[in-house]
Amino acid sequence: MLRIRVIPCLLLKGRGLVKTTRFKDPQYIGDPINAIKIFNDKEVDELVLLDVLASVEGKGPNFEVIEEIANECFMPVAYGGGITNLEQIRKILKLGIEKVVLNEAAFQHPELISAAAAEFGSQSIVVSMDVKRKLFGKYEVYRARGTKSTGLDPVAFALTVSKLGAGEIFLTAIDRDGTMEGYDLELIKQIARAVPIPVIASGGAGKIGDFREATHCGGASAVAAGAMFVFHGKHRGVLITYPEADALKQAFL
Amino acid sequence: MHYQICVRCVMDTTDAEISFDESGVCSHCKSHEARVAQAPFSQSDAGEKLAALVARIKARAKGEYDCIIGLSGGVDSSYVAYQAIQLGLKPLAVHFDNGWNSELAVKNIERMVKKLNLDLITYVIDWEEFRDIQRSFFKANVIDIEMVTDHAIFAALFKLAKQHKIRYILSGTNVATESIMPKAWQHFKFDLLNLMAIQKKFGQLKVRSYPTISIWHMAWNKYMSGFQSVPILNYLPYKKEEAIATLKAELGWEYYGGKHYESLFTKYYQAHILPKKFGVDKRKVHLSDLIMNGEVTRELALKELEKPPYTESALASDREYICKKLGFSQVEHDAYLNASAVSHFDYPSYAKIAMALVKIYRKVQYN
Ligand SMILES: [Zn+2]
Repeated sequence: MLRIRVIPCLLLKGRGLVKTTRFKDPQYIGDPINAIKIFNDKEVDELVLLDVLASVEGKGPNFEVIEEIANECFMPVAYGGGITNLEQIRKILKLGIEKVVLNEAAFQHPELISAAAAEFGSQSIVVSMDVKRKLFGKYEVYRARGTKSTGLDPVAFALTVSKLGAGEIFLTAIDRDGTMEGYDLELIKQIARAVPIPVIASGGAGKIGDFREATHCGGASAVAAGAMFVFHGKHRGVLITYPEADALKQAFL
Repeated sequence: MHYQICVRCVMDTTDAEISFDESGVCSHCKSHEARVAQAPFSQSDAGEKLAALVARIKARAKGEYDCIIGLSGGVDSSYVAYQAIQLGLKPLAVHFDNGWNSELAVKNIERMVKKLNLDLITYVIDWEEFRDIQRSFFKANVIDIEMVTDHAIFAALFKLAKQHKIRYILSGTNVATESIMPKAWQHFKFDLLNLMAIQKKFGQLKVRSYPTISIWHMAWNKYMSGFQSVPILNYLPYKKEEAIATLKAELGWEYYGGKHYESLFTKYYQAHILPKKFGVDKRKVHLSDLIMNGEVTRELALKELEKPPYTESALASDREYICKKLGFSQVEHDAYLNASAVSHFDYPSYAKIAMALVKIYRKVQYN
């Protein structure tokens, strides 16, 4: 890979795609298969697909949907949502998904990270962390799609999961999600500086320039965006887009 | 019945209702001529007519936008948007997403909205529900599966126009390149009774969010609030080739090869389902329109028709994708393609009454 990875992050709710704002108000944006077909043609680097209900409703991963999506994707995909054990990871990777994203498991069964890294290699194991900025600029890790506070310090948490064997951290600033107002650079800096593993910045991307900031100023290894790749204009009309290769090359110079 | 093809266009007896005069000229190209002759752009005061229309649209604006445009990424609707901006209108662009968008269509829409600085709303239909209705139309074996999309687009535009206090829909419908259409090759798109009856009989889901509009509702809107759809391309001399060239040059727009091929489903429907199951080759209609519009010679059209509508490899991969998305197995799909067609009129329908009303409407639409 010559340049920094730019990753569309898609949220799955049931069988449809949604986009949230600050983790709330999910807006339906259509059929995942059609969106993925379009992203295929746009030759995106990688996709992150998160099932927002799988953990909350305690259902676990929907393998049928994951399989359909894996069959349609040309690009590497990371799937997250409802994963609680090794058997599920085995099954997901077998379906053709490249990486799994662990979130709730990092709180409930942190040993799953080590076990999974040992069996499948760290490069297949991403841990996602959702962070809220508290009063006086202090950060805190949240769980359950931003509904439960954990009291945990993001840097300490990132160090822990990195030591457990996570290969990457998918770092989302909850307050920036869906706003397209730019990444939380301070947060990215804190985490990227602290851990030896790659950090994917997420939450707030609104223009190509934001990618450069996250990597050059924040120290992120890759960038993710949701709203920016699915919405257009003030009415937030759904329009799937991805920067041209030239524009991206230019941005990271 | 013996085979006959028109000596002027390429319509033939695959349309059972076609008729020919003693010199071998068909009823379709004659009606193309008649419709073009009636259209505003053919009149000596075409310029004044267009100016008056634009002035009326502007004067009647109540909100932020004075008209609404459905953007599909295809030539006609893109050209409508382009012209609307040239004419100084303030359109709201609406894209209807039925889950079958091609990347090229989406890219064209992106180019349009960015270059023309259009405000865009996407009406994203609930895919699970839409798919179920499309599946019902397959199971019903009726010809006009596209009615499921076309009806909803219009209903969605009506809904959004109302929300944004807009009175005019600028449609891409035009007599220059869309005059010819055998009655049996499509169904009346506003036959809500037919649509609901088919869904009720074959569907698994209840219609909840799929947008619908009845002809009574349409008539009410038109006569009570002066709400109407304007075929603006009929006010301009419209040539497809020129429109494509302009869109390419001005907006970086790209052609996707084939009328309405901006939708993956439409492509498969027109290039495979229609010829295979219904014995209908819609290219004949498009090419005949273009012949009459002076854009293609009959010789070239005949040559075009000799080619298969699909290349083997594209057909195989599109077919697999379409089956997968609709949830049909290859075996089920084959059985469908081989099953005999069923008329829309074998299901409840108010198309006949409605068509009579439309005839009256057509007579007054340029007033
Ligand atoms: Zn003819």
